[in-house]
Amino acid sequence: MTRVRKRKIEGVIAMVLCTVAALTGLFWLVFILGDVLAHGIKALNLNLFINDPAPAGVEGGGLRNAFIGQLLITLCATLIGVPIGVLGGTFLAEYARGRRIARLISILSDIMVSVPSIVIGTFIYAVLVKPIGHFSGWAGAIALSIIMIPVVLRTTEDMLRLVPWTLREAAFALGAPYYKVIIQIVYRGASTGILTGILLSIARVSGETAPLLFTSFNNSFFSADMNKPIASLTVTIFQYAMGPYESWHSQAWAASLVITLSILTLTVIGRLLIKGRHGKR
Amino acid sequence: MRKNPADIIFSATTAIASLSVAVFVIGILYVLIMESSPAIGRFGIKFLISTDWDPVKESFGALTNIYGTIITTFLSLLIAIPVSIGIAIFVTEISPNFLKAPIGAAIELLAAIPSIIYGMWGLFTLSPIMSRHVEPFLKKITAGIPIVSILFQGTPMGIDILTASVILSIMIIPFTASISRDSFNLTPPIIKESAYAIGATKWEVVKNIVIPYSKIGVFGGIVLSLGRAIGETMAVAFVLGNNHRIATSLFDAAATITVTLANEFAEADNDIYLSSLFYLALVLFVMSFITLAVAKYFLIRAERKYSR
Repeated sequence: MTRVRKRKIEGVIAMVLCTVAALTGLFWLVFILGDVLAHGIKALNLNLFINDPAPAGVEGGGLRNAFIGQLLITLCATLIGVPIGVLGGTFLAEYARGRRIARLISILSDIMVSVPSIVIGTFIYAVLVKPIGHFSGWAGAIALSIIMIPVVLRTTEDMLRLVPWTLREAAFALGAPYYKVIIQIVYRGASTGILTGILLSIARVSGETAPLLFTSFNNSFFSADMNKPIASLTVTIFQYAMGPYESWHSQAWAASLVITLSILTLTVIGRLLIKGRHGKR
Repeated sequence: MRKNPADIIFSATTAIASLSVAVFVIGILYVLIMESSPAIGRFGIKFLISTDWDPVKESFGALTNIYGTIITTFLSLLIAIPVSIGIAIFVTEISPNFLKAPIGAAIELLAAIPSIIYGMWGLFTLSPIMSRHVEPFLKKITAGIPIVSILFQGTPMGIDILTASVILSIMIIPFTASISRDSFNLTPPIIKESAYAIGATKWEVVKNIVIPYSKIGVFGGIVLSLGRAIGETMAVAFVLGNNHRIATSLFDAAATITVTLANEFAEADNDIYLSSLFYLALVLFVMSFITLAVAKYFLIRAERKYSR
């Protein structure tokens, strides 16, 4: 009997430990989000969005330049990254389906998704900042688009593969050339999935800081010129949080709250979209 | 079949778009090698084993950075692996059905929080807790023990290797946990049921059936998180202190490759300094690329095994 009891006790202890592990994970999530919310909401007000920064150390001012800069950089990165990613994914899932090259690019993309983003920052610095002689918004946007492309490419590939082959055959039978089949039939069938991939990739790059540090750099004045250094929320948070002023810290918290909420919203919408689709089937 | 000209144009466009990924990989490698060639020529392979980091004397070595990267990554995995596997076991075997999806999604949300938020939270919230409560406590309980107490020497400042590793571990938990969960879920129910039928407890089923069956996938997940931890920048940049020396205590400030790049790249004021930083970036790129390739290899093997 004692052996049975020993096994049972061992089992209970292990199960309790696993439950504690799950609670630990949830604890961190609640702790971090709660902390960002508590600090951020205190500093959040309209001035933050409509004023430019006050001179260093002076109370007041806002982060209008950083909000606009962040939107511009992300928008440009999306405009560059999404078409390339979707088209690249199309090649892997359609024209190169089953070929060795498709497998290789697919694996390379999976690796590129996790390559340190700061390395991409140094690469863009060498290619676009050093030769031109100054930091620029474009350099930041292109750095972000390089992070985006493999993400969009891989989800597009996976989503196109889910579209049944018979659907394409039906269109071929009507005499449609392959590109028309892809654009009018396959894309339509996979549109929700591709959109999810795009949303998640936007969420992923809007939180990136490291690749912007020495590409778009920072700018304490308002600028919408993508050829000049441009402020971004993330780099501003880094600068303000490491800075000595209390007012900077509270603005950094407010900016963190805005960016966290935006990213979580995008992520949740992306997840719900894909779930809603699977639910229907 | 005669090809439609529009089809040729469209297929060529997609081919070029997909090749861009290969171009980036080769381009990054090529550009980093070219940019770091002055440093490679001056310091050679010794760069990797030199602890110098002196911009004034223009003498550079990567060892303190590589050491910082390895020690923080190792510690964070040490914390994250048991927790992640525990979470995966809870979600697949213990939790009631209606809680499985929400808990899984909540853990994955941890991965969506940007690293800069982790960094800021670490600096303003976690680091004071560590320096006031956790670290003095660890110091006290390890005080008498030889060797172990060396790890906990010095004044607990909160800006140190331990705090950085704790933050890193929180960041990589979702990756390991979700891949482990997916691998666990692939265990054929019939094998588990056979084990239950001969009287195994739940823990024995997990320990003797589920984990052995899915170990390749779990291992792949662990290596993937290792790759991500190596390259994590902002979360550690706030709390590591950028201190170029080989630290023996977990309460010492240190520097990882990423932290050095983030702090010094835009300020490097002469060519050899900048070139040495590019050399560091090259080392980081190669390290993480190899790690991620190994992870991918195991994940593909796991996929093949389960799809059979």
